[in-house]
Amino acid sequence: MEDAQVAALLVRRCVAGDAAAWEEIVQQYNRRIYNICYRFTGSGNDAEDLTQEVFIKIYRTLNSYDMNRGAFMTWVTTVTRNLLVDHFRKARQERLTDSLDTTTSDHEDAMPLSDRIPDEAPPPDSKVQSRETREVVHQALQKLSPELREAVILRDLQDMDYRDIAVTLKVPEGTVKSRINRGRAELARLLQRTYRQVM
Amino acid sequence: MAGQQHNGMQCNEFDALLSQAIDGTLSGERLQAFEAHGRVCGVCGPLLQEAEAGHSWLKALEQVEPPAHLVTNILLATSGVAPGRAGARATWGERIGRWIDAVVSPVVAVARQPRFAMSFGMAFFTLSVTLSIAGVRLSDVRLLDLRPSAIRRSYYETSGRVVKYYDNIRFVHEMESQVRQFKQATPAPERPETQENKRKENNKNNSSGQPEQRQERNYSQEGNQPVLASLPTNGDPQRAILLHAGVVDSPVVHGATYRRFV
Repeated sequence: MEDAQVAALLVRRCVAGDAAAWEEIVQQYNRRIYNICYRFTGSGNDAEDLTQEVFIKIYRTLNSYDMNRGAFMTWVTTVTRNLLVDHFRKARQERLTDSLDTTTSDHEDAMPLSDRIPDEAPPPDSKVQSRETREVVHQALQKLSPELREAVILRDLQDMDYRDIAVTLKVPEGTVKSRINRGRAELARLLQRTYRQVM
Repeated sequence: MAGQQHNGMQCNEFDALLSQAIDGTLSGERLQAFEAHGRVCGVCGPLLQEAEAGHSWLKALEQVEPPAHLVTNILLATSGVAPGRAGARATWGERIGRWIDAVVSPVVAVARQPRFAMSFGMAFFTLSVTLSIAGVRLSDVRLLDLRPSAIRRSYYETSGRVVKYYDNIRFVHEMESQVRQFKQATPAPERPETQENKRKENNKNNSSGQPEQRQERNYSQEGNQPVLASLPTNGDPQRAILLHAGVVDSPVVHGATYRRFV
């Protein structure tokens, strides 16, 4: 039985009131949703809260899932992405309200990341294995625009194919590829500037 | 960028193939044309290098483990069932036990306080003494029959008694109402006790000194029947003979008798 059929069966059991099926869904997808939220928000606490919100949303709207319109994983990722967008808008509004003189910007043309990433990060080795390096990359990821960030997260961190990403982001597949390429290149430029300054 | 062409490939084509090239799905002549364009084009070449570098950086990021309590919190916030308890359905005994715990625990917690414990002790002592004095023994109290059929039968019996009692009360009220109406429609006769009292009252007021007149009337006679009066002979034998022979008419006195209604 394929994964999509297993997931559809789980959903049917869950809609019928099977608490064990719901627990299985939570066990199966919580890690994935938490990672998407964590990489997008950059905060463990926000990721935890958002993951709970995602599952609450899924639990309430599970009967609206139509397996003919896509895989359950794609549907779950879409719900997650929509909540992340809402969270981002809310957080941006709060930032604008809290500090009007802040230099933080989510636009791609904003101040170079090298001016904002802490300089105390050690230089990377060839395979980028150290924990500090991963932390720097994680921080750099937060500086990408949300459109580029979500695209590279879904592709490079969650290994989704371009078609599912296009469904999730509600944009054409060509746009998805373009965003992924721009996101990767922008991330590399940010990190190269950072380490060039440090070195 | 989009308009430049190097080695038979425009920059927009290079950009479209960039993802496939990094994914490793590009091959053959297209791969050669792609690589050739990247080597020559001053825009697309650095873009390819940056995209590959960014891909490498991102692949270095590992999956993070969510907090251990996350699943528990999610399940409690959604289905309300703790992990591992979803498959095992609670028995009726467990449900009743939980319900009793929820109800009794606060009471027990309060009762454990010394002041409330003393109050409860006094109340229990008073109740037991009262029951003992009243002669009530708990062993005499029958167990209630709580079967559904018994409860249903008790319900029907009780409701039947209530309906019957109500019908009886209504009948009594209707009869009383009719009797009351009948009495109001019929004038009540003067009561004999009242006449007797009036007569006694008159006698009391009589100051003539005469003895009380007795009603020595012949109730067998008709109302207009004549009553023969006695004729005093005054000791004259001749007059007595004449009266007896009918030569002399005896005086006749007409009187009316009144029938007494009792």
